[in-house]
Amino acid sequence: MRLETFKPSHSSIKRETSKFLVKADEQPMNLLKWARIKSPWILHFNTGGCNGCDIELLAAFTPRFDVERFGILLQGSPRHADILAVTGPVTLQVRERLVRIYEQMPEPKYVLAVGSCACSGAPFKDCYNVVGGVDKVLPVDVYVPGCPPKPEAIIDGIVKLIQKIEEEETYEKGR
Amino acid sequence: MRREDKIAAEIREKLKEKIITVEVSRERRIFAYIKTEALKESIKFLKDMGFKHLSTITGVDVEDGIELIYHLALDGSIEFSLKLKVQKDDPRVPTITDIIPGAVLYEREVHDMFGVNFEGHPDLSPLILPEKWPRNIYPLRKKYALERLRNLIFKEEDIE
Repeated sequence: MRLETFKPSHSSIKRETSKFLVKADEQPMNLLKWARIKSPWILHFNTGGCNGCDIELLAAFTPRFDVERFGILLQGSPRHADILAVTGPVTLQVRERLVRIYEQMPEPKYVLAVGSCACSGAPFKDCYNVVGGVDKVLPVDVYVPGCPPKPEAIIDGIVKLIQKIEEEETYEKGR
Repeated sequence: MRREDKIAAEIREKLKEKIITVEVSRERRIFAYIKTEALKESIKFLKDMGFKHLSTITGVDVEDGIELIYHLALDGSIEFSLKLKVQKDDPRVPTITDIIPGAVLYEREVHDMFGVNFEGHPDLSPLILPEKWPRNIYPLRKKYALERLRNLIFKEEDIE
């Protein structure tokens, strides 16, 4: 393998800055959207899981994985968050609380289902006190399967969500 | 004579005809099957003997009733499982919270899951079931198949 292949490419940076160099026939990128892509703040909520996914999710926010390079930050309040990261199956008791927390988040808001339980309910599906996956209650944007998913998988899920936000033109949120 | 055999012999002597079986299945493990009316007496007796730690109370739905198992421990060495059976249609058993106050939560849990009424318990309000759970449905009773249980619970407030 020759050394040239390892040369860092600056094309991505160039592409980004060129978004603001507006040509005569081109629309500029929405500034709000740009800010949103650069700082997806995350709220973590456990709806009745075993804490396995919580440990992996928190591990993903450690300096080892350096998610600050994407602008990802863990938030303590739903009023400051853009993405709701849900772990665990939705139980009957927590369902209303989950909806209440989702409603407190400012628009536009996105939901990330972390782990098999949050995706579908997994082994707790059809249990007497479990509603099912998060998609039974909230509109989910990205599913991250795994029991538990690796921090790399969770970061990949968030980055995919960022891409989704980037690509959306007049993306209508709703059921 | 092992200490376990000694304890088994003592409780057999104390309860006499109120005890159904006592078995020392292996080292440091005793099972006893007693009649319901002898519960308080035997718990008090075991506590005086040194079984001060109540690990938990569990329930099993057997065909002809609900079996309650009181798991007691002696200084972390000998496990004593005290079993008794109550009627399914009117499950009633005296509380042991006046002897072992730590049993409050265990009795509430068994009441949640099996509907056993612990007479004399200070507060038998739901402990671990959801807030909107119907009053007379007990999830660990075998008469509820899972589908039927879900139909009962999710009838009105099912996912829209």
